[in-house]
Amino acid sequence: MVASPVIVAENLTKKYGDYTAVDNVSFKVYEGEVFAMLGPNGAGKTTTVEMLECLRTPTSGDAHVKGLSIRNNSDVKQIKKIIGVLPQEFNAVDNLTVFENVQLAAAAKGAKDFKQILENLGLWEYRRRLFSKLSGGLKRRVGLAMALVGEPEIVFLDEPTTGLDPEARRETWLYIKRLKSLGTTTVLTTHYMEEAETLSDRVAIIVKGRIAAEGKVRELVAKHGGRTKLVFEGLDEKVLASLRSKGFEAEQTQEGRTIVRISNDSEIVEVLSNLRAMSIEVYPEIRQAGLEDVFLSVIGSRLSEEGFLA
Amino acid sequence: MSSLTTLVKLLFKTWFRRKASIFFGIAFPIMLLLVFGSIFGGPSPPNYRLYVRNLDVDQNGNPMPLSDAFVKALNGSVFEIIPLKPGEPTPKSTGFAAVRILTIPKGFTDSVLNMTMANLVNIMQDTILRLVQMAGEQIPEEMRANIAASMQQINMFKQSIKAERKTLILEGSPDDRVLQPIEGIINIIASKFETALLNASSTMEIKLVYSEARQLRLVDYYVPGYIAAFIMANGLIGVSSLVSDFNRRGVVKLLASTPIPKSYWIVSLVVVQTFAALLLTAVMFAVGWVVFRMTTIPDIFSLMVVLLGTLAFTGLVVLIGGVVREAEAVTALGNMLSFPMMFLSGAFWPLEIMPKFLQEAAKYIPLYYFHAALRETLLTGSVSTALAPSLVLLAMAAVGMSLAVFTTRWRDF
Repeated sequence: MVASPVIVAENLTKKYGDYTAVDNVSFKVYEGEVFAMLGPNGAGKTTTVEMLECLRTPTSGDAHVKGLSIRNNSDVKQIKKIIGVLPQEFNAVDNLTVFENVQLAAAAKGAKDFKQILENLGLWEYRRRLFSKLSGGLKRRVGLAMALVGEPEIVFLDEPTTGLDPEARRETWLYIKRLKSLGTTTVLTTHYMEEAETLSDRVAIIVKGRIAAEGKVRELVAKHGGRTKLVFEGLDEKVLASLRSKGFEAEQTQEGRTIVRISNDSEIVEVLSNLRAMSIEVYPEIRQAGLEDVFLSVIGSRLSEEGFLA
Repeated sequence: MSSLTTLVKLLFKTWFRRKASIFFGIAFPIMLLLVFGSIFGGPSPPNYRLYVRNLDVDQNGNPMPLSDAFVKALNGSVFEIIPLKPGEPTPKSTGFAAVRILTIPKGFTDSVLNMTMANLVNIMQDTILRLVQMAGEQIPEEMRANIAASMQQINMFKQSIKAERKTLILEGSPDDRVLQPIEGIINIIASKFETALLNASSTMEIKLVYSEARQLRLVDYYVPGYIAAFIMANGLIGVSSLVSDFNRRGVVKLLASTPIPKSYWIVSLVVVQTFAALLLTAVMFAVGWVVFRMTTIPDIFSLMVVLLGTLAFTGLVVLIGGVVREAEAVTALGNMLSFPMMFLSGAFWPLEIMPKFLQEAAKYIPLYYFHAALRETLLTGSVSTALAPSLVLLAMAAVGMSLAVFTTRWRDF
């Protein structure tokens, strides 16, 4: 059964004077899926989700959240009842406890009971602790709890793991995965390839306010990611030339590694046999194509860990 | 519990747990009240330091009797006398302690004695002449001739008196605004001293009568000003820092993405500020009553003025928060507005001691109307005199709150 779209964005545009932050963007988000917006800093991801969160008014275009227009004031009130938002770089109130911070969000959403959400996110035991005394990972969990309180049907997580250490990042991923397993529709913005690849069902790559590519991760990889790579250490020019003469697509990187692109698994055996024939016994690293390759192929540059185009 | 009640409760908790809120909202005003109340609110009269260099000394360096008596007369008044030896250098001014030096010239005692004698002779001659004039023809011719001869002898005696007036020098800085009043006080003491030497009595006296039954002291005057100033500061600095902190953290954004209306946010800020204002008022009065035996008691009208002031200044800062986009700029503007208002509005000291143009400028400062209304209700207990500044405050509160609601963004931050 095909899920129905819960968010339909049509030609969304946001301009600030002469600057166009979001340029004629259209996409759909389906019920129960995790939809990631992947792109560098300043690409327009946050502006796009903030329009969907009814925090910004589009300059033109419209979006419907469960059939309700983000431009219509009476619809906006209804939309706010069914969404949960974790803003970018969110930090709860330092001198309120975990319980009080979640209570603040619960009061704003009219939610009565929020013990369950604290338990689900492993925060119940920290409920009396001041927010300022928590670790980075726990702080982000409090932010998640504040977004999820009131059991929203659609959750917007704007760069939920930016600034977290790897352990806390993976911990946050677990909670987002759990959210997906509960059937909550999640819209995620990120500049981390791995995050988008690990968590999302579908990805929209956004650059300069436009969607450059959109689709399921595997489909995007298949379409734009290119072939699987065999990465060898320490092969010299002579060997490289030999492989090329046998019809393999091989290249040497600046770091001195040799990369051989293959189209199917049987080519692995062929490459290794050829090397063995030259008395070279090496075992390559096999790299499957991923979103990084998609990004490189579509945008023409890499995305750094800090979220900038390299 | 409704959303609004929970929001108010949590905002109050965060206000109360902020060290800066407690310090600037309660502790600092109390400290100021204790310090200024002790300086200006006590029962003792002002005490001016006066250096006296007495050059009127005998061969052994001991002060001559009349100069010594004059210094003692000065010491018994509003002055704290610090003697300077004849050769001792002039002391330098340190901090705010103004240096005022009174130099008594050499020969002061002789001069005063001679001048007193000359004055006595003058008085005697004047008295005789008046009596002769009054008696007229009733005085026999022979007696009249005798009187004239005696007057000639008295004149000869008077000419033998070396009646040379000595000048006392009062030295001080041209910036010392108390120097002239001090000169006046010394003149009064000198006149009394001269009158006593003539063995005469004053022909008039001044009786001090309090115009009001209520015993108001300076501390009663200062407390309303401090309360108004710090309610304003709590509004402009406290609320602006809370709002900018909530903005910076994304908490306002999170709240705006929920069904809660922006009016709840503004009302919560106002209610929290009102609690804080009432708490500050209660604490200031408690300190005033206990420490300074203050007699002022706030009535319902003065509490209304407190409420209006809170609304006016909370409205102003929410308005600033609505107009200025940068969170840090809101705090900076709050600070920039509140400090000049504190010092120029007359909240901390009477406007009368300020230059004329500043007194006029104060009337354009919103805080002026707040402390004026509060002082009128608390000091005079009169609603009629407090009405005009209260109406200005009411207008400010109404305009401020309306603009605050209008400019606060719940979308398109």
